[in-house]
Amino acid sequence: MCGAGFGHFEWLAGGGAGQDVGRSCILVSIAGKNVMLDCGMHMGFNDDRRFPDFSYITQNGRLTDFLDCVIISHFHLDHCGALPYFSEMVGYDGPIYMTHPTQAICPILLEDYRKIAVDKKGEANFFTSQMIKDCMKKVVAVHLHQTVQVDDELEIKAYYAGHVLGAAMFQIKVGSESVVYTGDYNMTPDRHLGAAWIDKCRPNLLITESTYATTIRDSKRCRERDFLKKVHETVERGGKVLIPVFALGRAQELCILLETFWERMNLKVPIYFSTGLTEKANHYYKLFIPWTNQKIRKTFVQRNMFEFKHIKAFDRAFADNPGPMVVFATPGMLHAGQSLQIFRKWAGNEKNMVIMPGYCVQGTVGHKILSGQRKLEMEGRQVLEVKMQVEYMSFSAHADAKGIMQLVGQAEPESVLLVHGEAKKMEFLKQKIEQELRVSCYMPANGETVTLPTSPSIPVGISLGLLKREMAQGLLPDAKKPRLLHGTLIMKDSNFRLVSSEQALKELGLAEHQLRFTCRVHLHDTRKEQETALRVYSHLKSILKDHCVQHLPDGSVTVESILIQAAAPSEDPGTKVLLVSWTYQDEELGSFLTSLLKKGLPQAPS
Amino acid sequence: MDPGDDWLVESLRLYQDFYAFDLSGATRVLEWIDDKGVFVAGYESLKKNEILHLKLPLRLSVKENKGLFPERDFKVRHGGFSDRSIFDLKHVPHTRLLVTSGLPGCYLQVWQVAEDSDVIKAASTIAVHEKEESLWPRVAVFSTMAPGVLHGARLRSLQVVDLESRKTTYTSDVSDSEELSSLQVLDADTFAFCCASGRLGLVDTRQKWAPLENRSPGPGSGGERWCAEVGSWGQGPGPSIASLGSDGRLCLLDPRDLCHPVSSVQCPVSVPSPDPELLRVTWAPGLKSCLAISGFDGTVQVYDATSWDGTRSQVEPLFTHRGHIFLDGNGMDPAPLVTTHTWHPCRPRTLLSATNDASLHVWDWVDLRAPH
Repeated sequence: MCGAGFGHFEWLAGGGAGQDVGRSCILVSIAGKNVMLDCGMHMGFNDDRRFPDFSYITQNGRLTDFLDCVIISHFHLDHCGALPYFSEMVGYDGPIYMTHPTQAICPILLEDYRKIAVDKKGEANFFTSQMIKDCMKKVVAVHLHQTVQVDDELEIKAYYAGHVLGAAMFQIKVGSESVVYTGDYNMTPDRHLGAAWIDKCRPNLLITESTYATTIRDSKRCRERDFLKKVHETVERGGKVLIPVFALGRAQELCILLETFWERMNLKVPIYFSTGLTEKANHYYKLFIPWTNQKIRKTFVQRNMFEFKHIKAFDRAFADNPGPMVVFATPGMLHAGQSLQIFRKWAGNEKNMVIMPGYCVQGTVGHKILSGQRKLEMEGRQVLEVKMQVEYMSFSAHADAKGIMQLVGQAEPESVLLVHGEAKKMEFLKQKIEQELRVSCYMPANGETVTLPTSPSIPVGISLGLLKREMAQGLLPDAKKPRLLHGTLIMKDSNFRLVSSEQALKELGLAEHQLRFTCRVHLHDTRKEQETALRVYSHLKSILKDHCVQHLPDGSVTVESILIQAAAPSEDPGTKVLLVSWTYQDEELGSFLTSLLKKGLPQAPS
Repeated sequence: MDPGDDWLVESLRLYQDFYAFDLSGATRVLEWIDDKGVFVAGYESLKKNEILHLKLPLRLSVKENKGLFPERDFKVRHGGFSDRSIFDLKHVPHTRLLVTSGLPGCYLQVWQVAEDSDVIKAASTIAVHEKEESLWPRVAVFSTMAPGVLHGARLRSLQVVDLESRKTTYTSDVSDSEELSSLQVLDADTFAFCCASGRLGLVDTRQKWAPLENRSPGPGSGGERWCAEVGSWGQGPGPSIASLGSDGRLCLLDPRDLCHPVSSVQCPVSVPSPDPELLRVTWAPGLKSCLAISGFDGTVQVYDATSWDGTRSQVEPLFTHRGHIFLDGNGMDPAPLVTTHTWHPCRPRTLLSATNDASLHVWDWVDLRAPH
């Protein structure tokens, strides 16, 4: 993308196979700089198709030379899952930018995922723990609204995106051209995170996900209600509810929700969360308190994140207690650890319920039960029959059609680019965006390249003296009729100034030279040169009505500042020579006069 | 704790399911296309309006293993733009065509829903007999082999136009200028009309205009405005026509004797209705003798008319949907007004309702009388 004929935008093999499963990896070329936005893993595939096809980027594979930087928007695996593969196995040594929370949390998720892929599914050709560590060493963490100079031309800035802890939208700027990449964001605040926000930065292009662009989202309240209803109904009939969570995902949100309603409904049923969860979560939320919303920050000052009235720390022995209870336990996909242990204990009772709050990777127990499997093979060929109710709830905070319009309205870009759209055309959405927001809208398919012409503006300061001189020449400038201005452009220290030639010479300490052209035109004329000159004068006066034609006392003719003199060469009395002379500035008129005179003079009346 | 949270806790007991959406513009239409999608359309007069074909959230549509489908969002399947406000929209069954009516009321617009993209495009127009500036023609569709569009703003301008040939196949051919408030096609040859005055009629299109009707000055005649809906047509005896007045009166009539209502009750609603054109009464397709009414305020009321006879005068609703009041307003804005509602064709207690502040709710109410 970007004008002046250089640069283009490429959309790398991204796009999901439907639902929320997808992968983000976008390459942007802006004014000669190349930036990779996100480096996600496709969660639906088990083989190499899960990694983006990096050969798209550059044929000779010298990624570190080609790419100026990589930017990661947040810690979800479909945005950062392929990063260690990219940096350690494909070979990229340049800088990787992300926010502080993302830097802290990414390696945990990557390691979890690696364990599932390698230890559980025995995959080869996967990145190792050491690779994750080496990859993270290349990370440069950034703060919100901090302008980071990647090099002397490229700068980036992060904006709050909501969605998950540490998620950011990024502005990439080179000179007067910029792109904003939103990653995943949310326009409505929830119980523990705020809403995305960006200033009126007017980028040339805004790149945003369109997975949810054609949806109208059910309100947060109704989703919460659904969750509460399921939990309430289960405990009312004496059942137990297991909610496998990732410590830094929606757990916080759901805990606050349950606490609020347990208080309101005066319920006595115990709610627990595993200690591993509290320690980790507390640690990170303490570190990143500015990333949570106002309410949390206020309460955090008074107490720790997980000090709830109705929610207590879990002890594994409690799992065998009779009666209803609700337990939040890690890990989130039921693939190991405490949540899996509890699941095995409770799965056989149809009064119980497990609520899965997010997408589960293939190979995990979570994924199996969400696919409808009711008989699971555990270690030692033991078969576990799942009689408990399985509920899949989506708590992910994404912007829908309305949210996208809101964000575009805030940033005021020239163009919008939607990625991850479905195969069928989204013409209505495109029209809506173009009409309502008055921006151009692009929707490239996988592998497609979009080129956006931009007109970069270069500001030039004009010296006052030069302006005054031009104004003195009379007519004021007219927007419809541009006037030619002569001056000298001085470029110094990224500064452009237009000054008069004299001033430029003075400033630069140069001597002025005049350039004058003289042309000889031979005419057949037997009269004396004075008469020839007079004929020339009459002729030119009658033709050049717009110009100042004068006949000087010494016999020469002037047209503006062009001098015409007639001379008689001694050899041939029938020929006269006209000497036409002009300065460099009058080149156009001079050439015109010369051709005119070459055509000869009209016959004089005798 | 805010009142929204309070109501949410209450709602756990009152609703089986509940969804709330914010549309980009308020709608006065909710028209089903099969049991998985609805059309909504804007009615603003000063800006472009959108017509949207919304697919119901997956969680509402699946019948088995509901728990495994997390999607609670509407999907915009098709969309189009209209310069006119749209007050009525009908889908022509078995086609990809829509007919809309709005102001100014000089023509009906026919739309084409694209197959290979997500666009709803204006296709053609149907001229109306009388050019009315402030009245918009009511519309109903005969879904026969050759679909016909029944339309009219007044009794005298009623006609049926064949959609393909554009020939007029039926006209009322009367000079009566009474204003219509609803039209409803009952079968291949019959339609029902209700005038704003409360006058009701059943018309057989095979004959010259000779409707079965209640010629009496209407159940009220104190200047109220009326609307009506015919329930299960041809399915046995009993009151199958419901008529609702802007003074809160609800009458049930038997088509065999339109002059004498079977019952006439007073609904506990705030009267007069702020906009009587928004009054709506519907029969539940899946529940015997159940009706819903809206248009008086921000609520939708459900009634069980099973035991209504001539003796009852005051009734209480079986259920009142108050979600629009609690969830949508923030206390500062004027209270919302329900613009329309409709029953889900297959799920017996599920309704959709929309308000003038662009909210759309889908709710499945709990019959608190039923054994738990």
